Amino acid sequence: MKEKILLILTAAILSGADFDYNASIVASYGDNYDFYSYSENRLDLNLFYNNIQAWIQYEYSNPPEIGFPLNDIRKFRVEYARDNFTIKVGDIYEYWGRGLVFNQIDDQTTNYDNGTRGLFLGYTNGGLSLSHLNGNTEIWFFGNDLRTPYFNNSHSMYGNQAQYDWNNISLGLTQLHSNETHQKYFGEAYVNHKLKGIYGSIMLDNADLFVEYVDKKSTEKASLFQGIPHDTLKNGYGVYGNLNLYLGSWGLTTEYKRYVFDSGHGDFTADEYGNRIGFQMMPTLGREQNTTLLGRVVHPYNFNDERGLQLSLTGPLPLGLNLLTQYAHLSRNDTWQSLTTIDWKNKHIDGLLPGSDESSLPYWENYQEISGFGLDDKLYFRFGRGNNKDIIKVFRFFDGQQRSMILTESWNYDTTEYYGYIYVDSTLVTDTSFTALFDVESKMWQEVGSNTYPFEFSYTHKNGYSLGIGFEYQERKKRNISRGNATFYNGSDSSWSLINPDNPDSFYVNYESQFTDWNSERVKTQFNRMVTLSFSKASKWSLTINHDQSSAFDGPKTIDPYYNPLEALIFGDIKYFTGDRDRSAPPRFGQQRWVSAEVAFNLSSSQRISIMYGSIQGGLYCSNGICRQIAPFNDGVKLSYSAIF
Amino acid sequence: MKIYIITILLCFSVSLFAKENETGRVIPDLKIKLLNGKTTSIHELLKDGPLMIDFWATWCKPCKKVMKHLDTYHQAYKENGFKVLMINQDTPRSIGKVKSYIRGKNHQFIVALDPNQKIAKKLNGLVMPTLILVDQDGTIKWRHQGYMPGEEVEIEHQIKTLLGLNTESGSKDS
Repeated sequence: MKEKILLILTAAILSGADFDYNASIVASYGDNYDFYSYSENRLDLNLFYNNIQAWIQYEYSNPPEIGFPLNDIRKFRVEYARDNFTIKVGDIYEYWGRGLVFNQIDDQTTNYDNGTRGLFLGYTNGGLSLSHLNGNTEIWFFGNDLRTPYFNNSHSMYGNQAQYDWNNISLGLTQLHSNETHQKYFGEAYVNHKLKGIYGSIMLDNADLFVEYVDKKSTEKASLFQGIPHDTLKNGYGVYGNLNLYLGSWGLTTEYKRYVFDSGHGDFTADEYGNRIGFQMMPTLGREQNTTLLGRVVHPYNFNDERGLQLSLTGPLPLGLNLLTQYAHLSRNDTWQSLTTIDWKNKHIDGLLPGSDESSLPYWENYQEISGFGLDDKLYFRFGRGNNKDIIKVFRFFDGQQRSMILTESWNYDTTEYYGYIYVDSTLVTDTSFTALFDVESKMWQEVGSNTYPFEFSYTHKNGYSLGIGFEYQERKKRNISRGNATFYNGSDSSWSLINPDNPDSFYVNYESQFTDWNSERVKTQFNRMVTLSFSKASKWSLTINHDQSSAFDGPKTIDPYYNPLEALIFGDIKYFTGDRDRSAPPRFGQQRWVSAEVAFNLSSSQRISIMYGSIQGGLYCSNGICRQIAPFNDGVKLSYSAIF
Repeated sequence: MKIYIITILLCFSVSLFAKENETGRVIPDLKIKLLNGKTTSIHELLKDGPLMIDFWATWCKPCKKVMKHLDTYHQAYKENGFKVLMINQDTPRSIGKVKSYIRGKNHQFIVALDPNQKIAKKLNGLVMPTLILVDQDGTIKWRHQGYMPGEEVEIEHQIKTLLGLNTESGSKDS
């Protein structure tokens, strides 16, 4: 079927019919010493003919950088619009409101695709617009493998939206129904999701307001022995609000969210049913970072159970400068108490604001930036400062009272006379008593925090040559903190074990860093530095050299066994070039450093080719609020080509 | 590797073929939603004169650099009927900050919203920034991907050529 569509559309172009079209090509190839090579090529073709529009995306990837190998039409869609009606068939990508119910994206960089293959019907008349869509969606998630997805959630869905716009006011109603086959580590869950939403907005001269609410009900279809039905129900809701205020050239953005779909203690979230589903791509309320080091310390947003607020102020300063400042505070909706090791009890946080108690996994983030142009717009610069603190795990969290049991044992002696003989009998008597109530605290959590300072500068000469320098410096801490007068929970006597049983007032605070140095010794702080140098000739070419360095390991120690000439050149290692360096034994100073060089050429204004050689550090990569761990790229070559026509 | 080289060569051939045949291509009349909440279409914006379309996002660093220059050109050539249309690709997750950002910079160009990249996909603007210069009759005259500092000279050259304000002949982008 797909081949036929491609053939018909290609034939139509070549036959010179009244089609108009545009296309783009993205081709990339990579090979590194880890023996993972990839070749990823995509052709996007858009066709326009009167009221008909069509889109085809062909992919040849064997294998792609991330995802599954493919040599086929990956996406297609045909649209027909006439008068007030629109019909779309194929791969549909729509969004409603701010995405609390429905927001579809195809993000190649994180391999997240929640598009629906099906049918879309739309009708508009004046301020009224109605839409319906239905079809099937396959959403893939990663498991342990960083390149190939493992879990698949399959949705058979339909949804409806109605929106009415009147002057500067909009009001919308949404409804989504999905039958999901949810793949788990072991087996599958069959879940029915029903979502209903409402949103509204008003735009004024000096203010905008947007509010959205969604109500969600999920039912898991399950059966016990002998097929006895055992359906379970879970309810949830989400609220998002956005108020923007403007005064002159200053703008203040305020956002609030409260997502209550599913909850669990610590960083635990049930992988069963009733969670937020893959269509719900909701606002994060964290800054969309655009520097490498800040991008690596992004908070792992929990769309099932998180509330928070974000403030962002932007405006001009004297001397042509611009200021951007941002603050966000998020937390779960509950605080948690670990009554035992496995028994946790929650307490809802009162009011609207996020909590600061460690058991509610709070997160704070702030960022300030000053940027501007100078020297007749030839100079561009940007200074930033980002700071965050995140409680990412809670291992135990008890704060209460208990009594200690006191066991007293004694022997009771008795005598018995029997036909003139005296017998002595003894009995062990156990007496149980309790001490008075005393305070017990046993807490342990994991906390990460960082301070990052990005700096960027570029100067362009009138002959078109420009020089750019980027520098980022980061101090990062990651530590387990334990505090209290008790450590573990003792199941045998159902109590928390005091560190000093004779003195409940003996409290301790212990910090254990999770970073280790080259000798596997724990170090308090990880220092990260990234330097980028770029030199370019406008519209022709650019050369970029990147040096990334980290002082400590976050996890197991990794050794780079390969030493390449670019690294030797950047490190100023003369021995490498004089033949005095054993290339099979890279020097210590080359470890935990990643160097790469990239040359890009503009073949024409719409064609670009680039070649990269070197290494790129792996780690967290975030885009559109979706984060994934990127595998490192070690001592290899990347080649990419892109064109639009 | 062999397949990859063949693919690259094929891409080159196709795109060079397309470049030769680029003149005369008409931009489709797509509906767009503006930052002020109103709806219009690309052909509607072309009624007064040529249009420069650029795709951007609040997190895109090179986009922000070129925006300043595009705003300058929008204001400098508006009497010639020229306009700049900046199509924003922030997702619904971060779209709340777009208006504040534009107000903060005091930009005067037209800003449209494309939160799930419908317009960008139809005009091949997924790489940011992507510039498309359209003549008043809808003909696409020039396309450009990416931004290197200094390229604003070429951008202005293309605008002035289209408006008939250039006394020099030929493009600076050889």
